[in-house]
Amino acid sequence: MKEKNGFLKKLSGSRELGLAAILIVLCIGIQIKSPSFLTPTSISDMLKNNAVTMIMALGMFEVLLIGGMDISIASTAGLAGMSVGLLLKYGIISNTFLGILLGILIGIVCGVCVGLVISKGKVLPIIASMGFMYIFRGFAYVLSGGQWASAADLGTFKDFALTSYLGFGVINNVIMIVIVCYIIFFVVTKWTVAGRKVYAVGSNVEAASVSGINSDRVKLVVYTVMGMLSGLAGVLSVSVYGSAQPNMLYGQEMDVIAACVIGGVSMNGGRGSVVGVFLGALTMAVINKALPLVGIDSIAQNTVQGVIILAVIVLNVLTQRATDRKNLKGREM
Amino acid sequence: MAGKSGRTISAAPEKAWKTTIFSWEGIMVCIFLAVNILCMCLSPNYQLKNVLREMPKYLAEIFLMFPMVYILILGDIDLTVGATVCLAASLGCLASNAGLPMILVLVLMLVVGTVCGFVNGLVLTKFTELPPMIVTLATQIIFRGIAEIALGSGGSVSLADYKSFKVLAGKVGIVPYIFFLVIIIGIIFAVVLAKTTFGRKLYAIGSNSVAAEYAGIHVQKIRLIVFTITGLMAGLGAIFLTSVLYGANTTTGQGFELDVIAMAVFGGVSTAGGKGKMAGAMISAFTIVCLRIGLGLVNVNAQVILIILGVLLILAVMLPNIVTMVKNQKKTAARR
Repeated sequence: MKEKNGFLKKLSGSRELGLAAILIVLCIGIQIKSPSFLTPTSISDMLKNNAVTMIMALGMFEVLLIGGMDISIASTAGLAGMSVGLLLKYGIISNTFLGILLGILIGIVCGVCVGLVISKGKVLPIIASMGFMYIFRGFAYVLSGGQWASAADLGTFKDFALTSYLGFGVINNVIMIVIVCYIIFFVVTKWTVAGRKVYAVGSNVEAASVSGINSDRVKLVVYTVMGMLSGLAGVLSVSVYGSAQPNMLYGQEMDVIAACVIGGVSMNGGRGSVVGVFLGALTMAVINKALPLVGIDSIAQNTVQGVIILAVIVLNVLTQRATDRKNLKGREM
Repeated sequence: MAGKSGRTISAAPEKAWKTTIFSWEGIMVCIFLAVNILCMCLSPNYQLKNVLREMPKYLAEIFLMFPMVYILILGDIDLTVGATVCLAASLGCLASNAGLPMILVLVLMLVVGTVCGFVNGLVLTKFTELPPMIVTLATQIIFRGIAEIALGSGGSVSLADYKSFKVLAGKVGIVPYIFFLVIIIGIIFAVVLAKTTFGRKLYAIGSNSVAAEYAGIHVQKIRLIVFTITGLMAGLGAIFLTSVLYGANTTTGQGFELDVIAMAVFGGVSTAGGKGKMAGAMISAFTIVCLRIGLGLVNVNAQVILIILGVLLILAVMLPNIVTMVKNQKKTAARR
């Protein structure tokens, strides 16, 4: 009896469950209004178009977990996507996988730069990443020289987002990559030493250092992973949208941060889970997809999106307060 | 007691002229002079006349920087200023085109800005658990979204009656009005920050908000006031931006928030709160404006300027850290 009670309490107190409930209600409401929402093609489209946010949200989750912040990610993705787009345009490379690999490599280099400045230079994360946001975006513009790679320039590269050989002919390649990323992160954060170290550094840096964790190295690795995922997201978006411009994904970092916070990742560090991030990113994707479906004017979409984000985070706080009060009452008795 | 250098509330005694020169503000003045000399060497057109002519475009951002310094000192952050400028400018232009008299248009723009700032402050003070970054992120999307709705499908509006706005962009000799206004408002903000109890309370909250609360400071009230002032200044910035651009569109003010934060940080204001001076922030703002104008005159690409600004920003914050690190290493080595 007591154990069951504890389990129930754990369930009702879990933020993930609350978010999942909101998400299900949202989906049912949209489905009633527009029956074409929950069809395989529609869901596949939705996931494909939001793959960038979903992938980068994983990296941002780790960054927020150590109490950091990285607003350079959209610029990193833009730089990686633009470079690969140009290489394809001028026929220097034509292999799809080489392109993706190069994008990831560029992302890693960018991530290492950000990580070194933050961990070794002791610069506040938001300032360092803001500086690099300017630098990477500037590089993307300088590289492109005002040009952009169109669908015709990309050749076979854009077919990657249209076929499904990685997903055994069922699931689209891009979605398959997203799924693999989430599985890897779920396992790593939950069951490996490296993943737990990140939580330790985020909860209390001093305690982590005293217990023998090299917090500088953890930070460097986290920002490098963030860069790697941004690079990957950048090339994937080139493939999905079939074009590369120097200002691609401008402002995307804000969507990514919003997805993480909706998913219950604390901005003070140390709290959050991969499941929460997944639900948060999914909520953002559903909102993006559903607003036109339920007949909201395209001009008003941003406003509605902003209001929903604000409502979700305020709701989160209110439920948190309610559970805190309940816990306090339980203790008094 | 606060030291005269005022970067933090500390009991450190004052050490004559040496500290003044080697303080961050002293270094900023040197950098400002260096940038100006560099620009003069690069371009023969870098003269006072041309610089002042180019300046109004950039000065609107400086209006936003003054309250942003307050917000950063509080340890908060506000990402909405660009969107607020956009909303105020759009509504102002639409109202002016609808035939509202000039004075009412100006009041409307200020009110719109103030309301935006007040909304931010209200949400942040009612739900203190929420990080300011994420709240202002959401409200930023909302404010710009409202501007998008107001502007309709075209996404832009141009002033029919631009003559009355042009008056605001007038000049005394070669110096535009807005320049004087920036200086005056800057001095007011600096004096309030350094010499009044309100200013000292900002530092106290930024250093340790819990301690400040226990010391009897109404932390949430002050945060609400500061965020509302930010909105008001964004409205003022919108007025002067409109007087230069003669219109508004959905991308007006995009990226202002980060530019403004960069100016403040370059001027020695810490985003962690409790640190910084208005003088440093003001010199750094003018340094960045001069650099932009100078490099623009020699046809350096706007994107290359972005790279230079990014490098400068990181170096400016990293160098003092590295210097202290090296000093500490030397000290420990000497002790051995």
